[in-house]
Amino acid sequence: MPRPKILVVDDDPDLVRALRLRLRANNYEVATASDGYTAIASAQKERPALIILDLGLPVGDGFVVLDRLQNSDVLSGVPVIVLSARDPQSNEERALKAGAAAFFQKPADNDELMNVIRVSLGPAETPAPTQTAAWPS
Amino acid sequence: MDQQTTQVLLIEDNPGDADLVRLRLVEGKFPVNVNCVNRLSDGLASLSLETPSVILLDLNLPDSRGAETFRRVIEHSPNVPVVVLSGQDDEVLAMKAVHQGVQDYLLKGDISSKHLERAIRYAVERQGLLRALEISQKQQLEFKNQFLSHVSHELRTPLTCIYQYVTLLLDGLAGPIAPDQSDHLKTVLKSVNQLHAMIRDLLEATRAESGKMRIERRCIALGDLVRQAVAMLKPTADEKRIGLEIGLDQRLPLVRADPDRVLEVLINLLDNAIKFTPEGGAIVVQACMVDADDGFVYLSVSDTGRGIGPEAKALIFDRLYQDADSVDNNRSGLGLGLFISREIVRLHEGRIWVSSEPGQGSTFTFTLPVYSLAKLLAPVITKDGRLRSDFVLVCVELRSLTNPPRGNWKEIWRQALEILRRCVYLDKDLVLPPMGTSGAAQTLFVVASTDLQHSGVMTTRIREQLERVGDLKTRCAVTIASVPVEFAAGNPAGPLEQQVQTVADRLTQMILTSMERKHLRAGKGTQDVNESNNKKENCNAKT
Repeated sequence: MPRPKILVVDDDPDLVRALRLRLRANNYEVATASDGYTAIASAQKERPALIILDLGLPVGDGFVVLDRLQNSDVLSGVPVIVLSARDPQSNEERALKAGAAAFFQKPADNDELMNVIRVSLGPAETPAPTQTAAWPS
Repeated sequence: MDQQTTQVLLIEDNPGDADLVRLRLVEGKFPVNVNCVNRLSDGLASLSLETPSVILLDLNLPDSRGAETFRRVIEHSPNVPVVVLSGQDDEVLAMKAVHQGVQDYLLKGDISSKHLERAIRYAVERQGLLRALEISQKQQLEFKNQFLSHVSHELRTPLTCIYQYVTLLLDGLAGPIAPDQSDHLKTVLKSVNQLHAMIRDLLEATRAESGKMRIERRCIALGDLVRQAVAMLKPTADEKRIGLEIGLDQRLPLVRADPDRVLEVLINLLDNAIKFTPEGGAIVVQACMVDADDGFVYLSVSDTGRGIGPEAKALIFDRLYQDADSVDNNRSGLGLGLFISREIVRLHEGRIWVSSEPGQGSTFTFTLPVYSLAKLLAPVITKDGRLRSDFVLVCVELRSLTNPPRGNWKEIWRQALEILRRCVYLDKDLVLPPMGTSGAAQTLFVVASTDLQHSGVMTTRIREQLERVGDLKTRCAVTIASVPVEFAAGNPAGPLEQQVQTVADRLTQMILTSMERKHLRAGKGTQDVNESNNKKENCNAKT
């Protein structure tokens, strides 16, 4: 079974290197980009299964990237996890509205991040039937 | 101002005095324009229309006398300089006027043209300087807050890098490491976590100070939160062999509060308690009602530490306060925890205080407003001044298929809430505000004034509507349950208000039971916490 590919978009090369190591150790293939423009180009070329996206980026910030991804026929279904140092109070809601699957403020706990990646990549669930339950007793 | 015409508003009821002042002004070298009114109300009306350069104010007017006159003028137009022209040589009154912001106090008998002109010019200048100072102070505060918020963001980038590489090494992802090295790295990681907490506190405190802290109020059961906080701090307490006990009032009502924020306060207080309690000590967290103050739930954290002296007690909630004799002073944080806690409690309209005697331990108590179901229910469960006859509690549970939930979970359950609101009769049913903490499950409640049989129509409608939403269908399991509201002691009686309260109490009980069961099903471990169900008497009285 091929390893799922994750595109890491961040303009801090040291952080990208560390994330790449960790993601590879967790059995993911990793592609990287360091600015908004390259992020879109890489996403189109690499067709990642998931994108980890910083917000403060040169040449088109994270919101521009989110917008472009949402408006792309082939990429709109790719889950995006935002990983940013920015304040969640003013950015989380906005990022989620723009289509992000999750928002993490840096530094994000490794276990939590890996958990959300795993969940976001999980197979599409079959719709659950609505149950009418007896009152729990 | 030399070139400009000075606009003078003269508030003076004596025509002779008014003429005299006008004459003195016109005699001077500078161009002036005098607008004279003889009542305070006319003066205030004129101030609402245009802002003069200066107000010359007589104190005894037909509609106001003495200090009251300048107080009202300054309250109305705090930025316009006021010069009092008085017939009374009253130094006490003059000082009072100056203290309250009047720029000068002149005696009518003394004024010469030159004198008056100079007084006006200085008054205008002084007022201008004062205003500039105020603006600059405001700007400085704004700048400081922006700076702190910027700094705390910028610090996160290198901190993230340190965290990533330390954990890479610790997790053996960069090759095997020796046990000694692992210990060293754990020390680094501990410091990274402390630094992280400090950065978070710095931003929080800045927000609190500039009034930008936000809370999202929901209807919550405190028992869950207390257990959660205790479970989180248990390992730290175990390290010092400190006992952690929970005491919950059995009839604890729901409260209206932000669960994440309340948890923050509890963690903060527990963390402090552990820090200041010696090995082998004990800490008790309690939640209870106090008869004299039934609009609030009292939460307290008591320790067997060395207590707090009276001087420290007064300062402890202030920004940057740090205990001088802290046992581990180099690791005591920024001293913002209690300040942030106080701000959070204040935003909830609650209070926080400490009672302590040196050597006797301390008790930190805070209050949170009770969520009054009765008030919400009254309009829907009564009709024409009488209680309706049958009630059903409908419970709609949304459980995310993944934990943590995938995508915008909040948006998903808000959608469901919206659907519920569309499925009920507004005059006799009520969709309750969202309850509980934000996790992978969300339970929504509807109180319906109907019998069980008829509530089936509503639940069918709800189910059909919910199933139409794609996101809901693919992302969560929906469980709908209805249960009639029954009363152990017969149907509600007494005055209507009391009947409504009886229904509200019964519903609260049912909601709590339902949430408690879910809690147990979700398997959140509380078994390792020694819990006693304390009655009211055990609760600490407030200071």
